[in-house]
Amino acid sequence: MVSVVKPSKRDKLFFLSLLPLSVSLLAILILSVTTIVLRSLDSFQHFGFQLITSSVWNPEKEVYGLLAPIIGSLATSALAVLTALVLSLPLSIMIAEYLRGFAKSVVSSVVELMGGMPTIIYAVWASQYLVPFLKQLAMEPLHRALPFIPLFSCRPITGFSIFAAGIAIGISIVPYVTALILEAYQSIPMMYREACYGIGATKYETVRVMISLARPAIIAALILGFARALGETTIAVATVGNSMYLSSCLFAPGYTVSALIASQFANAYLYQYAETVLYSSILVVVVTAIALSFYGSTTIVRWRSRIVV
Amino acid sequence: MYSWRRLREKLFTGSVIALSLLAIAPVLHLIATVFVNGLTVIAEAGLGFFTGLPPTPLSRELGGIAPSIAGTLLMTALSLPVTVLLGLFAAILTTEFPKNPLSVAIDAVAKSLASIPTIAVSMIVYTLVVIPMRGFSALAGAVALTIVALPYAYTYFSIALRSVPSTYREAAFAVAMSRWGTVTRVFIPIARRSVVVGVLMTMARVMGETAALLFTAGRFRAGVVLSPVAPADSIPLLIFDYILSPYALWHRVAWGATALLLLAYMVVFLATKLVVKEVKL
Repeated sequence: MVSVVKPSKRDKLFFLSLLPLSVSLLAILILSVTTIVLRSLDSFQHFGFQLITSSVWNPEKEVYGLLAPIIGSLATSALAVLTALVLSLPLSIMIAEYLRGFAKSVVSSVVELMGGMPTIIYAVWASQYLVPFLKQLAMEPLHRALPFIPLFSCRPITGFSIFAAGIAIGISIVPYVTALILEAYQSIPMMYREACYGIGATKYETVRVMISLARPAIIAALILGFARALGETTIAVATVGNSMYLSSCLFAPGYTVSALIASQFANAYLYQYAETVLYSSILVVVVTAIALSFYGSTTIVRWRSRIVV
Repeated sequence: MYSWRRLREKLFTGSVIALSLLAIAPVLHLIATVFVNGLTVIAEAGLGFFTGLPPTPLSRELGGIAPSIAGTLLMTALSLPVTVLLGLFAAILTTEFPKNPLSVAIDAVAKSLASIPTIAVSMIVYTLVVIPMRGFSALAGAVALTIVALPYAYTYFSIALRSVPSTYREAAFAVAMSRWGTVTRVFIPIARRSVVVGVLMTMARVMGETAALLFTAGRFRAGVVLSPVAPADSIPLLIFDYILSPYALWHRVAWGATALLLLAYMVVFLATKLVVKEVKL
């Protein structure tokens, strides 16, 4: 339907009647971002760069530094994305290439079920089962075998650590990343696969060609996963160990920005600067998350317009 | 050469299967442990689990989670209609006028809004609603839930409306239907099942959200209050507080509440599957 005709008066009226309610999304975003920016201005003025170059949380003395939670957020998200990649890519290949009919619909449904599951359920399970499991079967063996690598240099004490949080958040974003990869993978035109099989390629060789075609979309899916992992709160609080201590070791307890807020914001109004510092910490995360997800989703759109003829 | 290719093929298939199982295993283990741990707690507490008040940390009784159940129902009831209405209207606008710059903007905004961490939403609503109202309330919680769920609702509805072939629109215009008539009498009826799925998925998101309620709802657990301006509790909030507490009794209550939440979520999820199954367009 090419609209060569000018919109009629009734169309305009229809458009106008939809306006007030639909613009709410726009209004909410603007209001949200301005609120965070305004509330965080104070801390930037008062603390300046010291805020992101040191790591202390001492409201009684009004000294704050956000280095540890920011590093913690980046480290857990990076680990989460790595976990998600290792699990999502095979899962997508499995669903797209190996499963047919009923089995395919069952596995896709399970992935969907995981994707919509409230994160608090993951948090409960991760804090009670996953963390002890990882401590025994991953952290302790790694520490014993490779204690000279700084990342594994400390002995896991409780298990609640950056490492545990990264894996737990990674498991929770597997369905999201899988859905994105699968969508990209399945939108590659049939002719590429037919061409591969036509020259006698095996399944492995075909999958390799398909993956290389989908690479930009897969990277974009991982960027989107990173953005989602950055904002994850409940799982982070339950597994990261909540300590302001900055360490190069993955097995030491740490903090993420959202975990810091979840545990400190409730009492922050008692102090002069604690609230505004927390707002500035979330500002960093919000800006990064919006920028990354914007970049990721435009990359996917551009990739699709190029590959899908 | 030939045999190496064959071996590699086998290795590849094996590792894909192994890693896929590893990807699915956590959720199966999760469902099993939540139900085993949680249903025993619910069975022990009996009906009191749904009508009683949460126990004190050192009491002997398991008590119940009535305030949290009431709070979740209240806040979902407050938030869901608004979310659905706003999301649907925005989706109608962007599908009917896809080239309009405003539609392009709304689409981009929905994406950005979805990427704002829910804990940030909680802090925003704290500043915009809780402070002016001088206290936590179910209303503030519902506002936060709406902001969190709105971009998802919008995405579900715009996918639903866009899945209707444009030939239907042309047919409707050909019999001189207005745009509004086309949307309400042709598009939404054809896409009704996807719209229902969208509503259900939005509901699942609203009732399971934790972080958005941390600084808005108020965690009032001493009784069942059904007033929108009074502090309220929700099931995820109760789980969050109790599982992070050091008390064994509270852990057990948290397991019970988790099983209840998972059950509710799975019921909603199965409902979406049943709704979709009926559709044969």
